[in-house]
Amino acid sequence: MPNAEGGQSEAAAPPRKTLIVLAAFALAGVVFAGVSSYDFIAHLDRQVHAITCSIVPGIGPKDASGASGCHAVLMSPYSSVLRELTWGGIPIALPALGVFAFLLFRAIDLLWHKRLPRRETQFMIAAAALPVLTSIIYAIISATQIGTFCKVCVGIYVASLGVFVAAIVAHVRAGAAEADPSGKSSSLGLWAFYFVEGVALVALPVLLYLVLKPAYADSLLRTSGLRHPEDKYGVMLDTRGGGQVPAIEVLDPLCPACKAFSERLAASGLGERLQVKYVLFPLDKECNWMVNESLHAGSCAVSEALLCAGERANAVLSWAFANQDDLRARGGGNQSAVYARIKQAFPELAGCVGQPAVRARVNKSLRWIVANSLPVLTPQLFVRNQKVPDEDTDLGLDFVLSRVLAQSAGAEGKP
Amino acid sequence: MNADRRHMILGLVAFFSVGISVATWTRAAAVRLAETQGKAPEVATASASDMGYCTGELKVILRRVLTSCGLAAGPGSRGCQPLQARQVASMSGGDFNALFAPLSERAAIIEFDKDSADLDAAGADLLEKTFSDRRGASYFFVVSRASPEGSVEHNRDLSHRRGSAVLDHIRAKFQDPDIEQEVGLLWLGEEFAQLDQQFCQWHRSRVGGECTSAELNRSSFIAWIDCRL
Repeated sequence: MPNAEGGQSEAAAPPRKTLIVLAAFALAGVVFAGVSSYDFIAHLDRQVHAITCSIVPGIGPKDASGASGCHAVLMSPYSSVLRELTWGGIPIALPALGVFAFLLFRAIDLLWHKRLPRRETQFMIAAAALPVLTSIIYAIISATQIGTFCKVCVGIYVASLGVFVAAIVAHVRAGAAEADPSGKSSSLGLWAFYFVEGVALVALPVLLYLVLKPAYADSLLRTSGLRHPEDKYGVMLDTRGGGQVPAIEVLDPLCPACKAFSERLAASGLGERLQVKYVLFPLDKECNWMVNESLHAGSCAVSEALLCAGERANAVLSWAFANQDDLRARGGGNQSAVYARIKQAFPELAGCVGQPAVRARVNKSLRWIVANSLPVLTPQLFVRNQKVPDEDTDLGLDFVLSRVLAQSAGAEGKP
Repeated sequence: MNADRRHMILGLVAFFSVGISVATWTRAAAVRLAETQGKAPEVATASASDMGYCTGELKVILRRVLTSCGLAAGPGSRGCQPLQARQVASMSGGDFNALFAPLSERAAIIEFDKDSADLDAAGADLLEKTFSDRRGASYFFVVSRASPEGSVEHNRDLSHRRGSAVLDHIRAKFQDPDIEQEVGLLWLGEEFAQLDQQFCQWHRSRVGGECTSAELNRSSFIAWIDCRL
């Protein structure tokens, strides 16, 4: 192990307060990345969990409703990588945990040093630049792609910036650089050693995660298909997708999970292979007798608009997804407020929505659901009449859908 | 403490802390997954509605009516005439009408002119409104009647035509592929289960007009039945 304290000629007494601040930010990063990793890993059991969404983890209730920015980010396609290779992919928070643990380890180690050579702080700056860059990229993704910020992620961004700034301040306070008698090669050797340590500390949680995470049993894919997939009521919305593989998605236009699912499907790239037809399943007691309370108030009226829109259904669906909060709020008060909003956005539908004929079509859509004895939940996806398990429509979507597509392609190839 | 030893100890603490945490979280998820596998999900399954008024007695009558008077009951069984209806119901006219008492909010009475089977605009509107408000109901009943003026045979035929006018309008307006399986049609003429004046309070197509017993029975009584058989 290279002894960093050997470079006496360029060393000054360590700026302990700055290093303590650096360690504190690194510890905060460990906590935030740990909380985020924990929440992600908890979902490997394919169940729904409340997640931490607080700038001070442990304070305040967890989000069980799925309405928080943390939930949106966790379930977004950007929370993990290599999703087609392993169920859920590798959460980005996991290497972040390793990076912050390494920075904390380095900061504490430097605190014990009698002198602080500038090559130490130079390496610290370089190491701290990684989470800063990643944070910048993810902040941009949150703002532009997901449309919301997660408080835990913001904690990571702040911790990253804090570590980086503290590393620069420590470098400045470490004293003016002088010639290093041990030479440049000695510095490179030290940095290479630290680099290997850092890589190992990042690789360790990732490898443990991959080795210990539950394997996905193929038996989980042996789900029953639709009893009556035919569209005898004429209620399916044909999206005219560019794909070749026939698929049916059961959705509620005001269900946040359906919106997120749609985004995940689009982001995965696998959605392009599907030719999806939608069947509407509004979980709104105004038209749906299967729910005692409206889970997504206003969705009956929006479903009518979708059926009225015909070939423009995609535009209406995009609009409904974009205005879900507003439409649900209006639906919670008075249905006429939802109709008014629909007519304002799509005047050409004014003569159709709210009329007996389209209400009967929404009812037929619900009868299609009953005829197929589907569970009362949305979204549900059927690919070539094989159901993608409900538990796999979020984090496991890419992995499971790629397998379903491969299976159905294989089955088609059989004589 | 020697710097190298300190470095090694700190490094090991970091490695073990991270490693043990991630290993614990991941294995816990795997254990939970193993525990839940094979268990049926706790989610309701979509089904037609089955309201509290669907008593065993009502279901027996429903089954009989749909078997004998349903449009899908087979050739020659396209609805029930008064005599058949009386046999199918196996009860008095009053008891038969009482069966529908819980449907006061779901049913409607489409009224016709004297000696006419032509749907007027108000009748068509109420019919469409009632039929489109199906919700989770599985069966639609059309029970047509005639007032006592005229001969029994004429009134039997008149009530049949009134029921047919209702069905034709539904078929034309809603193009429901299941209509043959879900409609029970009875035409009772003047012979069985005449409506009494308590039905004046129900949804009628001629709200502003008089409500005599004769006017009430120049009608088709329609209702969605929220019962699963």
